[in-house]
Amino acid sequence: MNGLADIVTVVLVTVGALLFLAGTLGLLRFPDTLSRLHAISKADNVGLGLIVVGLLPQATSLTGGLKPVCVWLLAQLSAATASQLLARTIYDDQVEP
Amino acid sequence: MQVTQTEAGIRMKGTVAARHVLPSALLVRACGLLLLWIILMGPAPQNLPLGLVASAAGVWASTLLWPPDGTISWIGLVRFLLRFLPQSVLAGLDVARRAFARVPDLHPGMANCRSTIPGGLARDSACAVMSLQPGKLPVAADPDGMLHIHCLDLREAVAAQVAADEAAFRRMLKPERRDG
Amino acid sequence: MADFLVAAALFILAVTAIALFRILHSRIAAERMMAVQLLGTGGGAALLLLGAASGSSAIADVALLLALFAAFSCVAFALGAAVPTVRRDSQKERS
Repeated sequence: MNGLADIVTVVLVTVGALLFLAGTLGLLRFPDTLSRLHAISKADNVGLGLIVVGLLPQATSLTGGLKPVCVWLLAQLSAATASQLLARTIYDDQVEP
Repeated sequence: MQVTQTEAGIRMKGTVAARHVLPSALLVRACGLLLLWIILMGPAPQNLPLGLVASAAGVWASTLLWPPDGTISWIGLVRFLLRFLPQSVLAGLDVARRAFARVPDLHPGMANCRSTIPGGLARDSACAVMSLQPGKLPVAADPDGMLHIHCLDLREAVAAQVAADEAAFRRMLKPERRDG
Repeated sequence: MADFLVAAALFILAVTAIALFRILHSRIAAERMMAVQLLGTGGGAALLLLGAASGSSAIADVALLLALFAAFSCVAFALGAAVPTVRRDSQKERS
């Protein structure tokens, strides 16, 4: 394990963790439900992505490195679709009652 | 919203039934799914038969959900990803900047924008992609292609951003998919 | 390196727990549903970090399943939320 790989990991994981903090802060501070959904779906996703990329230099095998990438891709897909579906539900509730 | 979703479903089923299936496109999908299986399960040979069955089932499911003629151009996909990934990171940093500000830096509200993407699966995907781009979250789409977008900051040029996002997305679609 | 990764995992777990606490006390059903998505990303990130710290690759499978369940449950929620809306509309038409 060389020094440069460790530095990359530390930097990317730290930024990723800060993005999770930003997601939580946005959730606590943003005024309406849809804005809070922005915070969750965007910040947390990028946080997960940076952590996955940051862990790549620590991977011991090819599949061991690719599996977290699959987790991230699935989380991306799921975040995009789920935030769409939740946003529609929230919007319908706001318009119709 | 129910109505548009059902319409999209009917339209997609119609295309599957009406047009013949390209075997080469299905083969590409099967190989991709098998590769995914090997990444997830490891390359042990005794697992491969199950992987073949699983990828065959995956291809069958994909023909129901994604018309086989709805192919995308690979160069377009790469160019799209080269734009999408930095934008996605920017979206996260943008939210972070607003959340960390002393007073949350927000001017949230709804904006309406006409979509130039053909309706159905293509437009739904474009909306899903747009929800990971900075400051925008499409919440509903009228049947005539009018998008209702929730924005974190209405002071930004939302219409221009949406047009740029959609142009990047459209380059990925092959011309014959534009019949909508 | 392992200590740093564990610390980062604990930090993310703490931050996610605060957000979960806030979300689960919301009165809006869709906001409570955002907790599932949060659990998918935050829990997934913490698990991946712990897996890398302990060198066990099996934890990545758990993270994968978390992300998968988050996706499915959000779809199920949206489908379930759509049904009462339709029923409400048809009752409105009848009355």
